[in-house]
Amino acid sequence: MIRFENVTKVYDQTARPALDSVNLEIDRGEFAFLVGASGSGKSTFLRLVLKEDRATSGAVYVAGQNVAKISSWRVPRLRRGIGVVFQDFRLLPQKNVFANVAFAMQVIGKSRSVIRDTVPEVLKTVGLEGKEHRMPHELSGGEQQRVAIARAVVNRPGILLADEPTGNLDPTTSMGIMGVLDKINQNGTTVVMATHDDDIVNEMRKRVVELKNGVVIRDEARALYTSMIPVVGQSRRLKDASGREAHDDGLPGEGREGEAQR
Amino acid sequence: MRLAFILSEIGSGLRRNVSMVVSVILVTFVSLTFVGAAGMLQMQINQMKGYWYDKVQVAIFLCSEGSTAPGCATGSVTPEQQQSLNALLESPAVAQYINDFQFESKEEAYKHFKDQFSNSPIVDSVTPDQLPASFRINMKDPEKYQIISETFSSQPGVETVIDQRQLLERLFSVMNGASLVAVGIAGVMIVCAILLIATTIRLSAFSRRRETGIMRLVGASKTVIQLPFILEGVIAAVIGAALASGTLWAVAHFFLGDYMSRQYPDTAFISSGQTLILAPALLILGASLAGISSLLTLRRYLRV
Ligand SMILES: Nc1ncnc2c1ncn2[C@@H]1O[C@H](COP(=O)(O)OP(=O)(O)OP(=O)(O)O)[C@@H](O)[C@H]1O
Ligand SMILES: [Mg+2]
Repeated sequence: MIRFENVTKVYDQTARPALDSVNLEIDRGEFAFLVGASGSGKSTFLRLVLKEDRATSGAVYVAGQNVAKISSWRVPRLRRGIGVVFQDFRLLPQKNVFANVAFAMQVIGKSRSVIRDTVPEVLKTVGLEGKEHRMPHELSGGEQQRVAIARAVVNRPGILLADEPTGNLDPTTSMGIMGVLDKINQNGTTVVMATHDDDIVNEMRKRVVELKNGVVIRDEARALYTSMIPVVGQSRRLKDASGREAHDDGLPGEGREGEAQR
Repeated sequence: MRLAFILSEIGSGLRRNVSMVVSVILVTFVSLTFVGAAGMLQMQINQMKGYWYDKVQVAIFLCSEGSTAPGCATGSVTPEQQQSLNALLESPAVAQYINDFQFESKEEAYKHFKDQFSNSPIVDSVTPDQLPASFRINMKDPEKYQIISETFSSQPGVETVIDQRQLLERLFSVMNGASLVAVGIAGVMIVCAILLIATTIRLSAFSRRRETGIMRLVGASKTVIQLPFILEGVIAAVIGAALASGTLWAVAHFFLGDYMSRQYPDTAFISSGQTLILAPALLILGASLAGISSLLTLRRYLRV
């Protein structure tokens, strides 16, 4: 669904690249965490998927399409296939919950009746039924993030990108949000989530891609926030460490363990 | 749906910065009023030129009933007198100064008079009899007016010889000067309008960056994102243009039509109806000023 081929992103010629020859493939229906220290390039990765920025070199493929080859007037169509959620929710303060979610459908020209049918359904998915008429300031942070998630997925994108969606939330609320994201993932949406939240990553046991200074230093399935053996050169042993678990169920991501990219 | 959405966006945009929108309306109103005033002055000049102005320079008016000039002792011009005047005009002594000349009968004079004064009540009180017949002369060199004047003034059957150009040219040069001033002021005001529209759009884009950011993320097209801003400027400018057109109409109707034409009954003024042909031009000018200036602004301040 998302494929990075040797992608390098340089913002500032004098500084090191934000992403440095990244090779990575995230399959349809997968759930992947992007982890790494601040400034390691997680947000840059997500921005490249959205074509908010262009890669300095290398190619980014989204749903089989090289995003560099998408003409600017077709970028909106690319973005309709991708939902995005941020740490700061980005709701419209003067619109209520229903209107915030409906906004995403209005701007792409969905009809009133489709909106009336779809929005409550999506709000139910994120666990906000009955709160349609609340204003954002009348909601808790977790509820606001649910609204943001509802807005991101209301047009049924194939991909959901989340940039530290739980960054402003307490652990319990965060787990609630993760439940929502997991449910959306179960429905077939590919989810990529950048996070610093080790508890969540450890709890979820999904694929983990770790970046450091723009380089992928770890890529493990069903992994923990910190690998026991995070060094790239020792990826063989990495496989031994986490591989066993992978064979227990047969969820997507199998066979990816130890595929630490060079 | 999308149209309804764009309209509601425009509505909220206009409400959100009312004061800026009002200033855009006023600035385009004033600048386009000056543009229109220049246009009106030119229309008025054309109106005053009447039928003959661009075709001839000198008019020899012939005697009619009740003329008191010395050459009119015999009353209205006789066919013989007219014949000999015609011969004189064709004689080599005079013909060398003339490109060509035409005879305007009383009936033709009445027709041209009616055209020129169609907006004025005076037209109803004039009959063909009251208007003199004339020879209209197109000079090779308009400066040689004196020669014609001296030759014909004393001829029997001639009431008077008039150099129309000289009469009107000074007035026209004043009016042309005034339209230049109006165009100059209009130019400055238009620059103000463009800058103000650009600033307004920029503020509007800034105050709605949340919305536009979200619209971008969920894949709204460039049109849906930008159109409300552009139309906001265009609507304000069109309102200004409509006010300007209304003002010009009011000036023509109340000032020229009522006041001036009573003060100067022998001058042909443009009608208020005529100023309405300026309105579409002003509306288009206003709309395109706003459209272009907001498009350029958005290219810089609203990433899509
Ligand atoms: N627009 C930009 N212009 C210049 N440099 C940038 C820009 N955006 C990011 N960078 C740089 O690129 C590097 C990677 O930034 P990025 O935002 O991807 O990190 P991150 O992993 O998301 O960090 P965090 O966890 O703090 O969100 C950083 O060194 C940052 O300074
Ligand atoms: Mg970031």
